[in-house]
Amino acid sequence: MEPRIGVFVCHCGTNIAGVVDVNRVVEAAAAWPDVVFSTEYKFMCSDPGQHLLNDAIIRHKLTRVVVAACSPRMHEPTFRKACAMAGLNPYLFEMANIREHCSWVHEDKLAATLKAIDIVRAAVAKARLLEPLQARMVPVTPKVLVVGGGVAGIQAALDIANAGTKVIMVERSQSIGGHMAQLDKTFPTLDCSACILTPKMVQVAQHPNIELMTYSDVENVDGYVGNFTVKIRQRARYVDESTCTSCGVCLEKCPKKVPSEFDEGMATRKAIYRSFPQAVPGRPVIDKESCTYFKNGKCKICEIFCEPKAIRWDDQDRVVEEKVGAIIVATGMGLIDPHGLGQWGYGRFPNVLTGLEFERLNNATGPTGGRITCKDGSEPKSVAILHCVGSRDRNHKEYCSRVCCMYSLKFAHLIKEKTHATVYNFYIDMRCFGKGYEEFYNRLLHEGVKFIRGKAAYVTDQAYGDEETGKLVVSAESTTLGQVLRVPVDMVILASAVAPQNDAEAVARLFGMGRSPDGFFMEKHPKLEPFATATDGVYLAGSCQSPKDIPDTVAHGAAAASTALSMISRGMVEVEAATAEVLKDFCSGCKVCQDVCPYSAISFHDDTHLAEVNASVCKGCGTCVATCPSSAITGHHFNDLQVLAQIDAAFAWE
Amino acid sequence: MSHFATPMMEVPEMIAEVGGKTLDLCYQCGTCSGTCPWNLVRDFRVRDIITRAQLGLEGYEGEDLWMCATCNACVDRCPQGVEIVDLVRTIRMLIAETGAAPKTLRAVLGSVQSNGNPWSGEPSARMAWAGADPVPAFDGTPEYAYFTCCTQAYDPRNAKVIRAAAKVMDAGCVSYGFVGGGEWCCGDAVRKTGAQSSFQRLADHNINLMNGLGVKKMLVPSPHCLNTFRKEYPELGGKWEVTHLVELLRDLVRSGRLAMKTAVPVKAIYHDPCYLGRNNDIYDAPRDVLRGVPGLQLIEFARTRDEAVCCGGGGGRLWMETPVNERFAVLKLKEAVAKGADTVVTACPYCISMFEDAKTALGLDQMQIADVVEIVAQAL
Amino acid sequence: MSTPFEPRIVVLCCNWCTYAGADLAGTSRMKYAPNVRLVRVMCSGRVDPSFVLRAFQDGADGVLVAGCHPGDCHYINGNLKAMRRFPALEKMVAQFGIEPQRLRLEWISAAEGDVFVRVVNEMTAQVRALGALDWRRRAAVGPLPEHAG
Ligand SMILES: Cc1cc2nc3c(=O)[nH]c(=O)nc-3n(C[C@H](O)[C@H](O)[C@H](O)COP(=O)(O)OP(=O)(O)OC[C@H]3O[C@@H](n4cnc5c(N)ncnc54)[C@H](O)[C@@H]3O)c2cc1C
Ligand code: SF4
Ligand code: SF4
Ligand code: FES
Repeated sequence: MEPRIGVFVCHCGTNIAGVVDVNRVVEAAAAWPDVVFSTEYKFMCSDPGQHLLNDAIIRHKLTRVVVAACSPRMHEPTFRKACAMAGLNPYLFEMANIREHCSWVHEDKLAATLKAIDIVRAAVAKARLLEPLQARMVPVTPKVLVVGGGVAGIQAALDIANAGTKVIMVERSQSIGGHMAQLDKTFPTLDCSACILTPKMVQVAQHPNIELMTYSDVENVDGYVGNFTVKIRQRARYVDESTCTSCGVCLEKCPKKVPSEFDEGMATRKAIYRSFPQAVPGRPVIDKESCTYFKNGKCKICEIFCEPKAIRWDDQDRVVEEKVGAIIVATGMGLIDPHGLGQWGYGRFPNVLTGLEFERLNNATGPTGGRITCKDGSEPKSVAILHCVGSRDRNHKEYCSRVCCMYSLKFAHLIKEKTHATVYNFYIDMRCFGKGYEEFYNRLLHEGVKFIRGKAAYVTDQAYGDEETGKLVVSAESTTLGQVLRVPVDMVILASAVAPQNDAEAVARLFGMGRSPDGFFMEKHPKLEPFATATDGVYLAGSCQSPKDIPDTVAHGAAAASTALSMISRGMVEVEAATAEVLKDFCSGCKVCQDVCPYSAISFHDDTHLAEVNASVCKGCGTCVATCPSSAITGHHFNDLQVLAQIDAAFAWE
Repeated sequence: MSHFATPMMEVPEMIAEVGGKTLDLCYQCGTCSGTCPWNLVRDFRVRDIITRAQLGLEGYEGEDLWMCATCNACVDRCPQGVEIVDLVRTIRMLIAETGAAPKTLRAVLGSVQSNGNPWSGEPSARMAWAGADPVPAFDGTPEYAYFTCCTQAYDPRNAKVIRAAAKVMDAGCVSYGFVGGGEWCCGDAVRKTGAQSSFQRLADHNINLMNGLGVKKMLVPSPHCLNTFRKEYPELGGKWEVTHLVELLRDLVRSGRLAMKTAVPVKAIYHDPCYLGRNNDIYDAPRDVLRGVPGLQLIEFARTRDEAVCCGGGGGRLWMETPVNERFAVLKLKEAVAKGADTVVTACPYCISMFEDAKTALGLDQMQIADVVEIVAQAL
Repeated sequence: MSTPFEPRIVVLCCNWCTYAGADLAGTSRMKYAPNVRLVRVMCSGRVDPSFVLRAFQDGADGVLVAGCHPGDCHYINGNLKAMRRFPALEKMVAQFGIEPQRLRLEWISAAEGDVFVRVVNEMTAQVRALGALDWRRRAAVGPLPEHAG
């Protein structure tokens, strides 16, 4: 039976119709063989648009549908669903992308219209040869893996666990908490970070539905939405989980000191350590790299003092395999390496600090017990806070780090509160966009903090006058005044840029995610699905997607949790129907396909000498199809005939 | 002028048309003004020029326009990638067309036009520095063609540097010859003052000359020649491998072809020429050479390498009057004295001139100003 | 021909990176030459050499094969298979007398809308400089296959 094709051309308001002559496309389509119906509509994806599609399928007995609109990556699911509602197999639908690939990228209306006609013609050519496919449903493993135990991961894990679904949380460092645990007060309300975070950390540890694995890494991810298999490496801790009482005696006795990561290297920790006093879990780990015993075979002091006998020198890394239905990546953010910011004096002048270093300096559990002092122990009489260091700067990071303006204000307040110092903020724009943020800025003005509208150009210790002697001098133009200022201060705090984690590339690969040009993980849609990724079943939470403050991070974590939960609670997921299939009559038994399949989805039957594709493992990449020398494999939905027909129709050749 | 100003969009459009494409990117952070060395000695805000030019407001074309020494410090730091120096050059070009360039500059450009050099030097006297001694001429056979900077050829102080260079190259058995009398100014500073057609004329002449001589590798003593030959000449047809003298010196010392045996017991402070350092990223070569000089103690200015403060001689400033208390070289010389240095070493004819002038102005008779190659010559 | 020559370039690209990169060029409203038509397959590994030849046979003046950067393929390493196949394809195309600039393999990620634009514009200019291929006439490779429209 000849196919009956319907073509629907969308205006997308003026997005398409403003450039492409939609009516001309409709007319052209009407003239092609097998096209029995063609029309245009303002918004095909709208409710009335879908109704129109539905009615037309029934009225005109359409057996193929082509919608010419936006990218299939945007609305293919929408229209497939609409086709199914009208009783048409959803795989008999084809989309022609005349927005992203045409009206939005061309200005010449005639050229764009002709191109749109070509694009629709190619879609019709493919549609003519489409075959119905049956989507398969498979059950979902009702368990979620959360990677990263910052506040984003914590929020997501608790939301999911509270809904009754099992969670595995994998955290790389000794304790969960992330950057928020390093902070003292939090803007704009100035609540104590530990006071609001620690209870949540404890809840994670105690929750019956959460299995917490710290000091661990995800090594491998296999499978697909609803059915992932992950390999997790739990690094050897050399401290027995069940025996250790977290008494902390070992931490006192261990003689080996190394710089503390948690304190940004401003204080030391021991070779046996927990990241910070309120760490969760509280039981320490031995850092093998620094431990004296592991180095020279002598010491074992911790063992001597450990009353419950929890030290295990023969502890080994463990690799466990877990099945999960969804993965939430919440690996957070890093900070730009301040050593590349030479003009602002970092690394050259001891009293030039990064934001996080100041957080630790100001923290009651930090190196000075929370006293704000210069390196020589004296109280600073003046402090400069330099905004946008490495952010909004094409030499470093082009984006705005979104937290610096606000934490700079917070720092100014804390310095005012604890010292008598004059505080200068050097800024380009004050970005105080959140709830209560502008009010906080105002409060700071009341507190007498000085604001200079100009980016700090450099910091030097070279004095050109008595008032500069022995000081750090900040040079900047006050752009409001039109005068270059030299401001002598005792301490400089760099609001240095937030950056993607150093290993973001490897993590993106591990979980099959993309990265946006800024290096952060790429969301599926920047507005509508900022917590999903290109890989179904893998979601994003928190500052690994873009720089975020705590309120936004928590909201994002909760959103990722609810999306993962809604998938899990459906119980079943649809898996790829567009898989490959071996045509037995043509298979010569050469086994080339087996070598090229990235998923080992092809088995070879020695008895019949034939290859066979395991449809539940195949993901439909089509590599075997292109490789098979006997053309014995067909790739459903992208078979040779379909693709060739599309190529043949790509241009009006003559 | 009334007390308010009205934007004139023809101005930014004109600037964009002649190449100032990055003008509109400026977001008024002030990094450039805050970085600019002028503000160590007087008020000069390059951002002002940019903002005014963006809006076509009067003032962008005023006297301040000729202040910029094209040291590139601001360009290196601008977070928006605004090509500030190039914008300054472009605006100068537009202004120069109206005949509004400063008087001293006009005299210099006149000499460039008639003599092929900015120093009113007779073209025939270009090789006069050599005196009666025979020096190798480039005839196509030597490996390197040595391009003498005008300032070396006609300024007696800088002429000494060439003689030192010749001595060192001979000692290192370098195969070289002087391009000699036919060469004209490389045109770097001419170009930076906005005299585009004069620059074009100089470049065409030099390219014909050198291509005619069969030059493959060029050796230059001036970072300004280096920068122009590397960055501006290729698209005009002058494609040679261009090496600065200090790069060659470093290679000679490293490979052992040059043995420095005589102690030069000085406390030397190295000044980074803007066109060698910031513009061409050559920071280590001169320092490596100096560290190999027996007896020499090397110290640094407070702001060095990519942060180094300019000598004040680039972009045509060499030919303009600057009050003594506003000279960067004076400021730097004072710092050198305070640090106990007895020698300022650098690697650029303009810097040598600026520092020699500063030395005279400050009456620092004991202070030695030297090119790296002069130090090496002493150490042979 | 009275109208000036407009190159016709077929782009065979993977769904995950290059197609998405082209989408990004669209959402970012970048502008590029209207001379390309995209044919989407799931992975660059699916690009059968016969697809490329067919495009030339149909009358294409250039063919661009594009996928994810090595290591980023959505299907682990389909693009490496495409890459390995490519030299043989280039050789074959050369044997047919087709200039090498007419066939290009590029890695363009979902974040590289700008790269997509650059590659398309570059290739359009290059192919424009070469002129029409008109391979069927050059090589007399038989009649145009049936196609829609
Ligand atoms: C100086 C400074 C001050 C700030 N002050 C405030 C403030 O006052 N108020 C406010 O609202 N916000 C503030 N912020 C922002 C706040 O820190 C962030 O919003 C918050 O930390 C983001 O949480 P997160 O969970 O997304 O990431 P993170 O806190 O970075 O946590 C990520 C976690 O994932 C773990 N991890 C990373 N990679 C892996 C991996 N591959 N496998 C397993 N685990 C991994 C890390 O160890 C870490 O525990 C400040 C930020 C800075 C830099
Ligand atoms: S540094 Fe760049 S962006 Fe900032 S004011 Fe100067 S030109 Fe403008
Ligand atoms: S190039 Fe140097 S002198 Fe010119 S404006 Fe920039 S910093 Fe100032
Ligand atoms: S999915 Fe893009 S090349 Fe494989």
